[in-house]
Formats: sequence, structure tokens, C-alpha cells
Amino acid sequence: MNEAKNPNPLFMPITYLTTESNKTGSWRFLHPQYDEKTSPCSVACPAGEDIARIEMLASQGLFKEAWETILRENPFPSVCGRVCFHPCEGQCNRRELDMAVAIHSLERFLADTAIRYGIKPVLEKRPSQKQRIAVIGAGPAGLSAAWFLSMLGYACHVFEASAEAGGVLRWGIPLYRLPLNALLHDIQQVEAQGVTIYTGKPVSPDVLEIMKKDYDAVFIGCGHGRGMSMNVPGEDLKEVSEGLDFLRKLREGETPPCQGVSAIIGGGNTAIDVARSVVRLGGKALLLYRRRRQDMPALELEVEMALEEGVKLQELVAPAAVARDEDQVVLTLQEMKIAGDEGGRARVAPDEGKTRKVRIDRIFKAIGAQADEPRHQPPAGDEGLLSLSHTVLVRGNQGPVMVFGGDLTNETKSVVHAVASGKEAAMALDTLFREGFEAIVPKLEACRVGEGPSLSMEIYMGGQRRLRNPHVVRYEEINTDYFGFIPRVIQPRLLKEERVQSFEEIDLKISANLAMKESERCFNCGLCNQCDNCFIYCPDTSVMRDKDHQGRHINYDYCKGCGLCVVECPRNAMSLREEES
Amino acid sequence: MKRVLEGSHAVAEAVRLAKVQVISAYPITPQTHIVEILSEYCTKGMMKAKFLRVESEHSCMAALIGAQSTGVRTFTATSGQGLALMHELLHWAAGARLPIVMAEVNRALAPGWNIWVDQTDSLAQRDTGWIQMYCEDGQEVLDSTLQAFRLAEVVNLPVMIVLDAFYLSHTYEPVEVPSQEEVDQFLPPFEPKFRLDTAHPCGFGPLVAPGDYMEMRYHIAMAMEEALDRFDEIEAAFAAQFNRRYGPVEAIDCEDADIVFITTGTVTSTCRLVLQDLRAKGEKVGILKLKLLRPFPTEQIREKLRSVKKVAVVDRNFSFGASGIFAQEVRAALCNMPVHPTVFGFVAGIGGRDVTPELLEMIYWQTKTSDVPQKESVWMGLREVKNVD
Amino acid sequence: MIEIRFHGRGGQGTVVATILLAKAFFQAGYQVQSFPFFGVERRGAPVEAYVRLDKNKILLRTNVTAPNHVAVQDQTLLNSINVTRGLKPDGWILINSPSTPANLKPFAGFQLAHVDANRIALNHKLGTRTHPIVNTTMIGAFARMLEMPSMEAIAAAIREDIQVEAQRNIEAAHEAFEAVCLMGRIG
Repeated sequence: MNEAKNPNPLFMPITYLTTESNKTGSWRFLHPQYDEKTSPCSVACPAGEDIARIEMLASQGLFKEAWETILRENPFPSVCGRVCFHPCEGQCNRRELDMAVAIHSLERFLADTAIRYGIKPVLEKRPSQKQRIAVIGAGPAGLSAAWFLSMLGYACHVFEASAEAGGVLRWGIPLYRLPLNALLHDIQQVEAQGVTIYTGKPVSPDVLEIMKKDYDAVFIGCGHGRGMSMNVPGEDLKEVSEGLDFLRKLREGETPPCQGVSAIIGGGNTAIDVARSVVRLGGKALLLYRRRRQDMPALELEVEMALEEGVKLQELVAPAAVARDEDQVVLTLQEMKIAGDEGGRARVAPDEGKTRKVRIDRIFKAIGAQADEPRHQPPAGDEGLLSLSHTVLVRGNQGPVMVFGGDLTNETKSVVHAVASGKEAAMALDTLFREGFEAIVPKLEACRVGEGPSLSMEIYMGGQRRLRNPHVVRYEEINTDYFGFIPRVIQPRLLKEERVQSFEEIDLKISANLAMKESERCFNCGLCNQCDNCFIYCPDTSVMRDKDHQGRHINYDYCKGCGLCVVECPRNAMSLREEES
Repeated sequence: MKRVLEGSHAVAEAVRLAKVQVISAYPITPQTHIVEILSEYCTKGMMKAKFLRVESEHSCMAALIGAQSTGVRTFTATSGQGLALMHELLHWAAGARLPIVMAEVNRALAPGWNIWVDQTDSLAQRDTGWIQMYCEDGQEVLDSTLQAFRLAEVVNLPVMIVLDAFYLSHTYEPVEVPSQEEVDQFLPPFEPKFRLDTAHPCGFGPLVAPGDYMEMRYHIAMAMEEALDRFDEIEAAFAAQFNRRYGPVEAIDCEDADIVFITTGTVTSTCRLVLQDLRAKGEKVGILKLKLLRPFPTEQIREKLRSVKKVAVVDRNFSFGASGIFAQEVRAALCNMPVHPTVFGFVAGIGGRDVTPELLEMIYWQTKTSDVPQKESVWMGLREVKNVD
Repeated sequence: MIEIRFHGRGGQGTVVATILLAKAFFQAGYQVQSFPFFGVERRGAPVEAYVRLDKNKILLRTNVTAPNHVAVQDQTLLNSINVTRGLKPDGWILINSPSTPANLKPFAGFQLAHVDANRIALNHKLGTRTHPIVNTTMIGAFARMLEMPSMEAIAAAIREDIQVEAQRNIEAAHEAFEAVCLMGRIG
């Protein structure tokens, strides 16, 4: 039988036509597009770190690139990964699903990894500029200013009065929170960028006058090192001293006497640091605060650990008088009562007639600090004075521009605000030199992360980040079908019994494995992580991979605007717009 | 009141007026408009029915079998692949003697993927024990659906109302919609002969040995036979109230006809136009419209075709290896008559192709000019297929 | 019997336009049929829908291939669709366009009318700037063009089918009825 002569050929549902014959793009009146947006954490970060991208890179094991992404906005990842109050986590969209991503722990992990492997960052740097800039004070603000100015191509000289750089980081924070090597590594990064730091060089008014001739601008970031007065009788007894001075002695290697009971006045981080240090030196610590525990500016976790370690707390008491009684002192406390609310904290007033006394061995004041010298304060109401969000710029008729920053001008005194101040100073000075005074404000506005006030140096330098939509992604805009419940990594810590015996760092390292898992929890709000959902779901195969496979584009000849890609994007990195007719 | 209604909505209006208590459905084009509007009626409280969303047509029929067993009036609608997926449970519904009513919108089976009209899907369910009614226009759809509940409930067999995809399901035309009072009068509430009842526990669908199974089947066969008589009575009651009657078959100009078209569905409507034209030319032609496929109206067909010489059966369906399915049914009905017309089978309009007046005229002339059929089925309007490889 | 074909894009209410027109003709004493092009419906894709009307019961149940009149709801379709396909000689073509089409050649042998339905629809807040809903506007113009059905019948059909914003739709239909430009036979 000759089957070849079969008179019935197969006519069946097979097609060799491709969908290319039907240019469905002509149907479209909605227009999908890749539209990377802004994550709420990056807006909450005063340094404007690109957190969504940092976690994306970390989740892919690209630890070096993740660390460099931090460095573009903040020269202190090793420090901030330890002592930052991490407002980013408070705005993390993931809180609505389960718990915030452990951004703080991951920052420290990335910094530790860089230290461990001796990684040298590769960062964009502008060619050298002719202007020279002096920085007074090698604290976080001054060093940040120098770091960013150096990135922008300026020669920077930092003058530090103390014997070592670091400012409050070096002298004001106990080792169990910030080990020395962690600080030194970040400072060395700044130096490696080309910044010269001169230590043991206090800048007197005379020296400043000489500097003004040699430099085109001077950044003043001397910080707040002088304690405030309690204004009570007996404050000048030798048993009453400054908490900051106590911490400084400790960090200078001394062991100040701590036997008996030390009373610490205040509720900020310095008060807690002093109290916990006292405990570690074998003393007893009594924390006295005029408001309640929940009103304390100190980090809640720090307070909790302090109490665990044996620090005693008395709330709603204010010092009224100090008197010596033999080899001890008697502190009279005025009891306080709640008299309303101010900005979420209790407003308190003396509960008249109610006082009590405590017998103690010494008193440490930790009720705030101020500039060492009045001349460190920016002048008020001057012509040519420009008050920005974290700095004050003073342009006299002659001589260099003076920029005041750090704690001198920041409302919130924190390391990351100091970084923000240094960055703002660098941007403002660069804009001044290149485009003039009037250009500063609009230029800064253009570099905000989202609606600000955080600034991005990457945006300023024309990096990819400038293409982001300033729209801040909301939780409802995340397609949470793609994210299951995953518990947050638990930061490993020393037990309290181990903690009180030494100044060893309390927070332990997390493994790379845990770090990657934790960073995978990040929604990467508004960013494309190449998940390919758009490609998979497009019914018209009009989502195309770029040649390098690192990006996507839409073939609008075929995209009919159904919007599936936008809906199925887990992280809101796409948008749908009405077609312009 | 006469309203301009879509065919799908004519079904839905009837279901609403019949006060159906449980609706279950899975969407499929071209049926979706029916259950879409019913779900809207349920949401808006225009119907006091439970609307069950299910994950497949198989589950849909399973859900209705359960619901109907409790003694309530039930309805679903499906089409094409959906009906095919229901197949197993269609047998179950009939065997369990459950008077479920379903609207089935004829859709071609895949592959090739095709959403257009083709009767093979419903005809493939011929032997499941369901009564099947094929409708010509929106009015017949509405009327038949109302009648279907009464017929199903009286003989305890499920009923399928069959309508052409798009030509009927998606076409708007004037339809007389009766009032609720009128329908209530025609269709009283369902009074089940049996029901799931915890006060009187019993098992449904037990193992039935050869000693009983055959008799149970025979009773279904008897119920099907009975359905023809009951349908007549129901139609009479309907006609008395609404002045409309369709019949299991409708003979148009057959008395003096030499050649009679046998048609179903919307093709009948177009054929009526052709009939007018041909009659005007002096041709002795008639139409026998088939409404019921099951029970098959054998006696009525024999009687209407007693003096006819040739019949041209137009099938929008096909049984591979045999012929058009209605043609087979007609041949089987006629073959035991001592003298019977010659049966010419034509296949037309498969997969949604138009059955135009011109095509029907060609069928007429081909039948007239042939003494005997050259083939059991002649496929009409085939185009030449080139370049197959 | 008169057959009418509407061209539009998925999502523009083309099918609804023919349903409303059929209902209006029914109000006016005609027997009617209306149905969409039988196929899959996708937003933005070219769609067609049809109306048949007659004084007698309509028996024909086939697609409309040779319409008496045509309406085009979206003038961008003129580039991709042959809107005169099968159109009977001297049939009317109603185009949604702000002005007379530049190229009249394709309309030779037919009667042409145009109406700025986008503008009128937006005047009455129907749809959005990029996506005006022009169906009721178009049937208003259509009624003027064919001199039937009456605007009372159009208004009644709109009221029956459109619960929300019926009045604005009726006003748009009226405005189009007045504004439509009837050019008549071309070349």
C-alpha cells in the first residue's frame, strides 16, 4: 500500500503564523511603562540611603555592590549599622504584612563583610576642582562633609582638636555599642577617599582667620561637647559631673571610680550609656528622669537592656538640690506630674510640695549638651545667610563661605543627621562654586529622596537613581500575593550576664545566609529586581528583555495596554498611564 | 410586555420568573451573559436564589445534584467544553431523576479553538437521559425555559434548553416577557416527590444490582415516552394562557410539499424566508422544524411527512464516521414506514459559519434535482483547502 | 429591511450603541434585531455591531455583510478598517470627526455625514479626555441622518438602558442631532 498517495492530507489546528501579524498596539489607550519609584525607608533615612536597592543587591549575594550603594549616601555604614536609631524600619511597608525588614542589622552585616574581606569600594568621583575646603571637627558631620566634597573633586583638610578623629563616636559612645575597629574602618574609608585629617589641631579664632585666607570655604562641625546646667543649688560639688566627660575618660582608657551608687540625670542615650557603663565598672546606677520611660528620647531597646542589666529607674523626678552628707551626697528630688501632652510626649510640671531625697555617691548629668564656644554657633539674621534643612550657610562680603553643620544646626542630634548635614553642605558648596548662590535651593530640591528632606548624592551626581519617580510606594501598591509571611531575623546578642562583665560588643554578627534571607524579605518597594513577572504575564509577548538581559522594555507595536504587567509587578516598579492622543 | 432582549437575557428572565432557588455556574463564552445577569439579580435581591460559584462545570453539576436532591428548583447554563466536562454528572442527574434545568448554548468543540455555534456539543449528550429542546428565537427560549421546569418536575427528568451561540444568545430582539403573576399561575412552586430529609433518612445513589438496575432504566425510558404527552399538555396550558405554542415539531407548508427542509435552531428562522421565496416561485416546499431531540417525536415526524417525497435535513453538527446527527435520527424514525421520503443529509454552518438564504436555496435545488442522495451527508459551502503540509 | 453597521473599538460602547438604536427603532414601531460581531471582545480592538430593522418580523439570522448604512465611532479606524466594505450604494456613512475628512475618495458613491462626537460627549461629561464615551452622541447624529427614529424614541431607549447619567446622555444625543454635518452624496 502506497501511503504517500493518501488523498486526504492533514488539515488540522496547527499554525505557523506568529502573533506578529496582528499589531495589537493600535488598540491601546492605556500605556504601561517601567517606572521605578521611591521606597518609604529611603525617605525616612536622613542620609537617604537607597535601601530598597541595597537589600536587593544583598539578597542576590552582591555584598560589595550593596555596601558601595550605602557609601554613595553615607560614609559610616559600620557605625550606623550599630548606633543608628534606624527610622527606616519604622516606615518599612513590610510592617503591614508581618514585621519590618531588619535594615539596621543588614547594614552592619554589609559593613562587617567589607571589613572582613578588606574590600575597597569603587565609587564614582568627579575630576579635581580648584577650590580647597577646610573642615573643623572630625566628627560624623565634618567627616561626612569631607567625604562628599572629596567625591565631588575638592581637596579637603579636616582639623580636629582631639588626638584622634571621630568626635562623639570616638569619645561619647561606649565600646559595647561601638567597638573601636568598627569606627576606625569607616574613618579610614574617608581618608582613603583622599581626605587629610589633622588631629590635635584646635582651631582658635586666630587660626580661623589664617584659614579663611587659605581656603575657599570652611565647614564648622565642632558638635556639642559642653554640658548644660541643672540650675540647682549644690550643682558645683565635685561629686556632680558631666556624663559626657565620664564617657570620654572611659574611651581615653581611664577607669573612673564607680563604687557605690551613681545617680544619672536624664533620659537620652547619653544617660543610658553612662548608666550601663557604671554597671560594667561594678557600680550601681540610678536613672532619674523628669518624665516617664515611654517619653525618653533614648532608644527603647537601650532602656530595656539597661534595666535588664540592673540599672534602676525613677520616673517623674527632677533634681531640686544637691548637698554633701559626709562622704555621700543627698539629692533632693522634686516629684513631677503629667500636665498635658507635647508632640506625643508627656508635658510635666512640678507636683508642688512633693519632694523626696536620695542618698548616693555621685551624680552624672546627661541633660543635653551645647556648643563649646558661642562662636561655633551660626550668626542669626545676617545678610547672605542661608538656612537649609541641616546646615546654615554664611556668605560674607569677603572671604570664604562658612558652613555650620552637625549638632550645631541639626534639630535631631544623631549620627545619621550629622551625615545628612555633611552631605547637604557638600552639595550646597559645590552648587555655589559651579552655579552661584541662587542655584543652591533649587538644586537641593531636585536631589530630594521622594518629597525629602533627605538628599541623595547619587541623584546629585547624575546617577541612575535620578530617574526614579519621587512617588513613595504605599503598602497597598505592593502586590502582596507574592510575599508570604516570613519571620524577621532575630539579632543575636550577648546574654545579660555576659554583657555586664565587660565592654564587649553586645550585638553579634549574623551569617551571610541569614542576611540573604532577611534581605529577601524586602519588598524592594518601587524597584525592578528582574523577577520577570511582566515578561511571564504579558499576553502579547510584548515585554522584551534588553540585549544585556539586565533590563526590560515594552514593544508598543504589540502592547495593547491591558495592564497585566503592572498589576502582576510585585513591587510597583511599573505604572499605567492614559495614552496621549 | 414586549421588550428588546438579548437571547441570553430571555433565558435569565425566565429563570427569574420561575423563582429558581439554587443557581450554580462556571463562566464560558458564549453562555456567560446568562449567569452574569442572574448573579446580578441575586446580588440585587431581585431573585431569592442561592448563587453558587464553583471551580468547574463538573463541580457545577455536582452542586446542583446536591441542591436539587433537597427538593428545590435549580438551574445552570453552560456551553461547549463546559458541557463536555459535565458529561459524567449529566448521567447522574438523569439517573437520580432530578428535574434540573440547564440552558446550553451550542458552541463548537476544540481544537481548533472556536467559540461559535455548532450543535455537536449538546448532541454528544443525547444518551444521558436529558430532555433536549432546540430553540429558534428569543421568545421560544423564554417560553421553553418556563415550560422546561414544569416538564422536568412532572416526569422527574432533567431538561436542557438549547440555543445557538451568538445568532441567538447574543442577539437582541423583541420578546414578550410575561408578568410574575402570569408565570406563577402557569408554574406553581416545585413540589418534590422525594427529597433529602433528616427526619426521614435515606440513602441516595446506592449500589443497584442487575436485579433492579434494568427496571430502573426502563422507568427512565417510560418517563421519556411520557414526557412527549406531558409536553403536549404543558404546551396546551401555556397556549391557553399566553397564546403561543411551538410543538415538539412544527410543520410549515408541509401538507402539499414534495420537498421538506428539516431544520433546528436559528436555521429554521432563516429557512422561513427561503420558504417564502421558493413558494413565491411556485415550488412545493415545506419546513419541519424539530424542537425536541429527546424524547424524539417519531410519530409526529412520520405523520407530518406521510406524503412528502424528499426531505433535506440541515445539520449544524456531525458524527464522524456516520453523518449529520439529526439526519440519522430522521432516517431511523422513517425507515420502518412502508413508504417514506428519501432523506438527503446536508452539513452546514459548522463552527459558526453563516447559513445564508442562498445556501439553503442551494440545498433545496440540489435535493430537487437528485433522485437519490449521492452521499449520506453533503457538506455545503466547503472552501478549497490549499497548501496543506 | 434596513441593515446598519457600527464600527468602534472595544470599550467605546459600540455594542451598546446598536442596542440603544434597536430599542429606539422598536419604540418607533419597528421590528428589530441587534447583535455584535460574533467574536472575542478585547478593549481597544476594532469591533463591529449591527442593527436590523423592518416593519415585519425579522427572520434572517445571519451576519450583516451588505449594510445600508454605517457609523464609525473612532476615526482612527479609517486607517486600518475598510468601513465601506459591502455598503450599499448611496448608503450613509456617519463619522465621528471634528471636521470633514481630508481624503474623500474612499467615500465616493456614498453619502457622508460627520459629527464631533468626542467634543460633544466631553461637553456633557461622558468619559474622559482620552476616552470619551460617544455612543449616545453618535445615535443622536444617526437619527438626524436617517430622519428616524424620533429623538423621543432615542431618549426613551437611553432612559431604559442607562440608569446613571441618562439625562447627560440624552442631552449629548440632542446636541449631536443639531450639530451633525450632513454633506450628502460624495463625487
